[in-house]
Amino acid sequence: MIKLIVEKELRDLIGSTKFAITFSICSVLILLSFYIGIKNFQIAQAQYEASKTANLRQYEGITDWMRVQEYKIFLPPQPLATLINGISNDIGRTIEVRGRGELRSEDSRYGDDPIFAMFRFLDLDFIFSIVLSLFAILFGYDLINGEKERGTLRLTFSNAVPRGYYIISKFVGSYLALAVPLLVPILIGVLFLPAFNIALSGEEWLKLTLIVLAGLISIGVFLALALFVSAKTERSSTSFLVLLSLWILTVMIVPRLSVVGSDLFVNVPSVDEINSQKSRFMSQIWNEDRTKMNGFVPPKTENMQEVMNAFNKFMQNLADEREKKFNELTARLNEDRMNRQAEQQQLAMFFSGISPSALFTLAASEVTGTSVRLEQQYLAQAKNYQQGYAKFMKEKTGMNTGGFSFVFRMVTDDNAEKPKPINIGEVPQFNFTPLSVASGIGYYIGYVGVMAAFNLLFFVGAFISFKKYDVR
Amino acid sequence: MLSTLITHELKNIFFSPKFFLTFAVVTLLLLLSVVVGINQFNNATRQYETTTQLVQQEMREARGWMSLNNKVLRKPDPMQIFVSGINNDIGRMSGVNSFNGIKLTNSTYSDDPIYALFRFVDFAFIVTVVFSLLAILFTYDAINGEAERGTLQLTFSNAVPRTRYIIGKFMGAWLGLVIPLLLPILLSLLLLLVWNVSMTSDHWLKLISLFGAALLYLTFFIALGIFLSTTTKRSSVSFLFSLVIWVCLVFIVPRAGATVAGQVINVPTVAEIESQRDTFSKDRWMQYEKVMSDKWKIRNEPTQRMTKEEREAFREEKMWEWMEEDDRDRKQVQIDIDEYTKKVNEDLRNKKAEQERFAFTLSRFSPTSAFQLAAMNLAGTDIALKTRYEDALQNYRTIFTTYKDKKQKESGGMGGIRIEMNSDAGIKIDTGRERGVLDTSDMPRFDHPIHTFKDGITPAIIDFGLLGIFSLVAFSGAFVRFLQYDVR
Repeated sequence: MIKLIVEKELRDLIGSTKFAITFSICSVLILLSFYIGIKNFQIAQAQYEASKTANLRQYEGITDWMRVQEYKIFLPPQPLATLINGISNDIGRTIEVRGRGELRSEDSRYGDDPIFAMFRFLDLDFIFSIVLSLFAILFGYDLINGEKERGTLRLTFSNAVPRGYYIISKFVGSYLALAVPLLVPILIGVLFLPAFNIALSGEEWLKLTLIVLAGLISIGVFLALALFVSAKTERSSTSFLVLLSLWILTVMIVPRLSVVGSDLFVNVPSVDEINSQKSRFMSQIWNEDRTKMNGFVPPKTENMQEVMNAFNKFMQNLADEREKKFNELTARLNEDRMNRQAEQQQLAMFFSGISPSALFTLAASEVTGTSVRLEQQYLAQAKNYQQGYAKFMKEKTGMNTGGFSFVFRMVTDDNAEKPKPINIGEVPQFNFTPLSVASGIGYYIGYVGVMAAFNLLFFVGAFISFKKYDVR
Repeated sequence: MLSTLITHELKNIFFSPKFFLTFAVVTLLLLLSVVVGINQFNNATRQYETTTQLVQQEMREARGWMSLNNKVLRKPDPMQIFVSGINNDIGRMSGVNSFNGIKLTNSTYSDDPIYALFRFVDFAFIVTVVFSLLAILFTYDAINGEAERGTLQLTFSNAVPRTRYIIGKFMGAWLGLVIPLLLPILLSLLLLLVWNVSMTSDHWLKLISLFGAALLYLTFFIALGIFLSTTTKRSSVSFLFSLVIWVCLVFIVPRAGATVAGQVINVPTVAEIESQRDTFSKDRWMQYEKVMSDKWKIRNEPTQRMTKEEREAFREEKMWEWMEEDDRDRKQVQIDIDEYTKKVNEDLRNKKAEQERFAFTLSRFSPTSAFQLAAMNLAGTDIALKTRYEDALQNYRTIFTTYKDKKQKESGGMGGIRIEMNSDAGIKIDTGRERGVLDTSDMPRFDHPIHTFKDGITPAIIDFGLLGIFSLVAFSGAFVRFLQYDVR
């Protein structure tokens, strides 16, 4: 019997104008999001290569490694990040690396091009969390009370149809009518990737599958909610109104207010406050070092090169000492801020957990690697890279470059052999490793688990409500 | 008769079951957004004031004028409570000194990415999404709903002119939605007064114009809903169409416009431009060093045949003159670099402006974009906010560095750390003045770019015009369709 009711539900929905219109729109949007994502990735890739080339070009013809300053590394674009943007456009993409000192990422996509910040991009997150959630409500708001208004519910129950079977079939039928056709544009969109020469790794394919899976579970939540409200109300216009209000609250409002709410409970020190403390401390230790510099006693020698070497060594020791002190302070300040930030983020995510669309956004961004952890991951890898870079530069220059230092050059006579240009290609490459599925799967399971629980909760609510529903 | 029709429509709206729920949601949302906005504005202001004071203190405690580094923060504006625009996307501060160019860094979203994930809720967002949906919800069955219930046939069994009926419908729906919305809007204004948010007359004018734009936007969706209800026989169909059109106009067209512009006009990244500038800078400094090296050879030539004492005396005599000359050359290098930076930045800006113009042209097909642009222009959180600050900071940088140089000269010496090395005297280090406090009381302060009501309304006029045209077209469509509508 379940099969029969499911088939009837599928026939009813697939033959409706509602289905034709929503399916067309969804297909266009999904295909567009894939196409735009691919194009954006290609543009981002070209910009990334151009930035890297321009960064290397500035060292062409240079004969002294000491002149390698403002060496930049860049966050490479990830193909899936253009399908689930997360915070990838909000964080800095460029880091200027020096042998020592703090690293800071700058030049976010939205900061550089506010036009995109204004309107944002059309990605799968937007389609699943906003458009498809609304369409799920549109499919489900009159599943029960609509039948009653048309008199078909009474007709159905004039036969010996168990209510449990009926409600299960209603949910399954409408879910299949909504979810299965969506797989068609999604699969076509996926085919765009190899067609446009976007090679995804095995892990990226897995990520994409998990994103789609989370999306399908999230629309299930809205459908189950719609079924529940439909079984709770007598008129379809009332259920739609209630659902629309819930949709506005859960999709638009709750996620936004959850962050603001978490801000009230956890006080995160501002970047300005921390920078100011760092700057004052650096200024203080630098002033101390300036006094120490006056105490430099040059070696008793006529050889200027020896004097300079001794001075450089003296300065290096001061810089090392300074860096040690500074690092102790910055590590403490940064750790404190990061801990509080993490606390605030956890609280915000906890609050936003009552919104299925927020849960989808969080799950999808976690598995894509564009969650709030992306910035930390980028900075952590840049920090590791900095060590290799510092080692390399020390080999080339004999000193750790970066921070306050002095460069002395001996001017030799014109007949001396001209120095050869350096090969900037020798500088170690920065290879960014995106957040792996394994690192995000725990979070993903948590968020998807809550969505599944919502599915169950709303369905059970619908089931119980329908048991008592007056079908006349 | 018109007043009877309007009153009837108003009663229908006010006594409908959906009225209470929807207006409760909207009122709650609007008030919440304003409370949250005020709270964030106050936090931002506090942060701005504290950081500015710390920067001032740091400057006073600087070792010398030469090492004076200023930092300027963007000043929060009360209008961001209502329209955050791109305020949180662009950098909040920039260093101001002789060596580095102006660059706004540390945006709210990059500092705290959790905010970026879900963004903020503000008045503009509520208007674009919630108000428009509300308008559709109350008007999608304005005509066909009456036909379905049979009340349309009943009405036209009397001598009711169709033109008056449709005008009455429109005006009734308009008043039925606008009057209740005025309550939370007025309450939100009251919140500004209660929280003592410092608002100038320009801010109030901007706010009134913003509400005007919101009403125009609402008018369009009311007219659209009525139009769609005249194009179909069944309210369920018109509802479906309304919802689909709403999704397209509110979410799709604005994004598509910007995305297409991004695909068509390619703009280089800031990192790429900066690398170009760094290349020039490196070349220029190398050139300077070459010149310096040649100069020192010439300067040392007369000392070849001197005794050690004569050499020292000669150098002592000439040192000040040489240092001034070197300093002039060094400054010239910086001027050249600044000019080159200005040129490449201008090229970048021109490309960006082209991309933005194209994006706006495409996205303005949606009234949502027109409203968003009008709102952002009025609030001063528009796309030009970044360039306005960069220009003002650039001007300030010139004033600041001139002041710093003047002060440096007045204080005597060349400033900074002087390390002198020669084969006669060995190494001599002069680390400048001892600790103390610099008197920065006469230091020129940064004048934040002023965004007047005129500055906001001038670019917004086109969007007001567009919203008016969209509303007129939608209403005309409804009017024409209704004249041919089968009322049976």
